[in-house]
Amino acid sequence: MRNGKALGAVLLVALVAIVVTGAAGARTTDHRGGTLKLLAKAAGGTLDPQINYTLEYWQLYQASYDGLLAFTKAGGNAAFTTVPDLASGYTIRNGGKQWVFTLRKGIKFSNGQPLTVKDVVASFQRIFKVKSPTSGSFYSGIVGASKCLKTPATCTLAGGVIGNAKKNTVTINLTAPDPEFKYKLAVPHASIVPASSPPTDAGTKPLPTTGPYYYASYDPNKQLVMKRNPYFHEWSHAAQPAGYPDEITQSYGLTVESQITAIENGQADWTLEAPPADRLNELGTKYAPQTHVETLTAFWYAPMNVNIPPFSNLKARQAVNYAIDRNALVKIFGGPKLAVPSCQVLPPGFPGNKPYCPYTKNPGTHWSAPDVAKAKKLVAESGQKGAKVVVISPDDEVQKAVGVYLASVLNEIGFKAKSKTISGNIAFTYAQNTKNKVQINVQQWYQDYPAASDFLNVLFGCDSFHPGSDSSINMAGFCNKPIDRQMHQALKLEETSFPKANALWAKIDHEVTDQAPMATLFTPRHIDFVSKRVGNFVFSKQFYWLVDQSWVQ
Amino acid sequence: MARFLARRFVSMLFVLFSISVLSFLIFFATPGVDPAARIAGKNADQATLQAVRHDFGLDRPLPVRYGLMMKKLFISRDLTSYVNRGAKVIPQVTQAAPVTLSLVFGAAVIWVLASIAMGMLAGVFRGRPIDTLVMIVGLVGISMPVFWLGEVVNLITQSRLHGSVFSWVPPLGYIPFSRSPFGWFKSLILPWLTLSILYIGIYARVLRSAIVEAQEEDYVRTARAKGLTERRVLFRHALRTSLIGFVSLFGLDFGALVGGGALLTEVVFGLHGVGKLTYDSLQNLDLPVILATVIYAAFFVVVANAVVDLIYAWLDPRVRRV
Repeated sequence: MRNGKALGAVLLVALVAIVVTGAAGARTTDHRGGTLKLLAKAAGGTLDPQINYTLEYWQLYQASYDGLLAFTKAGGNAAFTTVPDLASGYTIRNGGKQWVFTLRKGIKFSNGQPLTVKDVVASFQRIFKVKSPTSGSFYSGIVGASKCLKTPATCTLAGGVIGNAKKNTVTINLTAPDPEFKYKLAVPHASIVPASSPPTDAGTKPLPTTGPYYYASYDPNKQLVMKRNPYFHEWSHAAQPAGYPDEITQSYGLTVESQITAIENGQADWTLEAPPADRLNELGTKYAPQTHVETLTAFWYAPMNVNIPPFSNLKARQAVNYAIDRNALVKIFGGPKLAVPSCQVLPPGFPGNKPYCPYTKNPGTHWSAPDVAKAKKLVAESGQKGAKVVVISPDDEVQKAVGVYLASVLNEIGFKAKSKTISGNIAFTYAQNTKNKVQINVQQWYQDYPAASDFLNVLFGCDSFHPGSDSSINMAGFCNKPIDRQMHQALKLEETSFPKANALWAKIDHEVTDQAPMATLFTPRHIDFVSKRVGNFVFSKQFYWLVDQSWVQ
Repeated sequence: MARFLARRFVSMLFVLFSISVLSFLIFFATPGVDPAARIAGKNADQATLQAVRHDFGLDRPLPVRYGLMMKKLFISRDLTSYVNRGAKVIPQVTQAAPVTLSLVFGAAVIWVLASIAMGMLAGVFRGRPIDTLVMIVGLVGISMPVFWLGEVVNLITQSRLHGSVFSWVPPLGYIPFSRSPFGWFKSLILPWLTLSILYIGIYARVLRSAIVEAQEEDYVRTARAKGLTERRVLFRHALRTSLIGFVSLFGLDFGALVGGGALLTEVVFGLHGVGKLTYDSLQNLDLPVILATVIYAAFFVVVANAVVDLIYAWLDPRVRRV
């Protein structure tokens, strides 16, 4: 009897399980369809995946373009690992200098054309032909790249990228081993497009895609329309999963306020923009289930020009770091839920991050409170008391407020400071050019890929400083030979061991922080506000919300 | 007449040329504005930066750059944006124009009718409470900035009362007349009212004082002496001459609005018109679009001026004889 009862129970559980899984399966396919309506204030420029360098479109490229490798399409830190995408696999030979990829078979572009080895080779040449922003940085290590950078029009990458149609392989030869190359192959600039693509910026004419969606139309003043790619089949769920909505649109032109209202009304599903501070309370209370807050691997900082007074003096720079009340800045940004105070370059949770904060009362691992007395003392010692300082900031509400705050801090510790705001569209290039003699300004840096070098080497390496150029990302003009040598060592060390390299990066991070070519302000968090009908919100730390993995019905 | 038109045409060309040169020079005199680095992208290599600068002709002398840009704008007509690379400028303007025209025409009809009614009412009942009331209402209209009023209208119709009284209001944006005439009307009625409120106030005041003045004039007294009815005196004589100032003002305002002056209304209501295009291009420092919209706007202002001169002649016989 007892046995009989147990058997019955087992049968019942099994039956329930079958019904539930069946229903779940049915439910997942039920969610397919509908139109996901995204909003943005303005378009993100050219739609060419090998040129566009905005998060706005990199986020959408996740569901449309593919490279040989891809960042895993998954939530959280899983997105930091790469997986073979258009390649079924790859081997690294010749001490890290040769990468051999085997292409998957049966993949077609959204125009019906099959993907071949020829397309891959042409796409790598195209990076140089269209003068991709990263052609000189990410891909300069490919054999033949230096020639391509000089004369892009005739770029062949001979000996650098070799296709073998018979074996269906592509071999990439590098001039030196590059352990970060796998990341560089997974960013959109290394997307594979048809060999017949124009050797110039495709601009507003969408190029055929390989992913689950293609771009049906693009008008930068109105709308971008993505539709299901009829030739897509899921070849790897981790690299490129099929999406739920039948169509994804991104409309441009509404003010942020109107966008939030439209989402509340269910007229749209998501906005690219950060909600304005006066709407945060409403979102956090009335619309809490529709609001998603995620930590970012990014930092807000104020680079200080180490080549002109007063910040050519180390003590003056350190004084600024001691004096800044990071809590005040966090408040300006939207409160402790949206930002965390920080003193160092590498953000929390990022490879190479070891918590460190010398610029606080009770120095240690975390920032607690400003030390204004010490700051004043340092300014006096530096001999820069009374020096005139102009704080440059972009003209949007938050950055302007940060600039005004920094000027007030500088005045408090003995400088004669004022803040100056300039158009957000030119602030970034303006601050880079040494001709403009910018002393201190408000900036932020968001990772391209999860490697410490993407922060430290890019922002504070000697190679990133180009006096007199609008493209000189090392805005502090910081070039410390011993630190720079260590950076090159760390890059070399990555070839053999990432953990060892990251330990060295942690040391470099602390040394850069000690040298204070910048004042780190805080680590920002990211808010996504979606409409009521959006389900299955998945946030990839790499390129943010996976739009096509959410459903609208 | 031919001479008048020819003179107008030459002066228009001169104005357009001067404005385009001025905008061009101001753009390149702005520090940090060089589009090459913005086009080349974040952290671009120096070689890439040079190549982009060369591609866009930004390494050529200023006069050559200006000439090239004008050639692309008027002759080959393939000038493209600096920001949204590949987006041709001329189609952007021609696509935006119907939106602005719909907005401005509708608003103009409302403001002309309403301001004539209010102005006449106040003028005829001068000094009475109704005069004071109409003028106060007008003043309130003038005092409300259009961007503020637009946001308040949006707050009420899109947010606070969207679930009840204003559920008929479509999402912000433009619905083309060809797609749905009723949708077009619904999407524009609130922008029309918002834009016209300021002008109703101004025009009603202008008309009132003109009518008050006209009623003291000899020709009105003569008309009365001839035994004409008060209504005929008002409409045929007083109102007609009072409209002269009204019309010249209208011509200028209308020209400026069609040329993109309705910028704030378009931005607040998400209408992709010429004003919005100008606003976006200024925000992005997108010189090709700035030049195209500025020249377009100047064209309409100049044309509107010429039309006003013609209407003058029709309204005021004294002008014709000169």
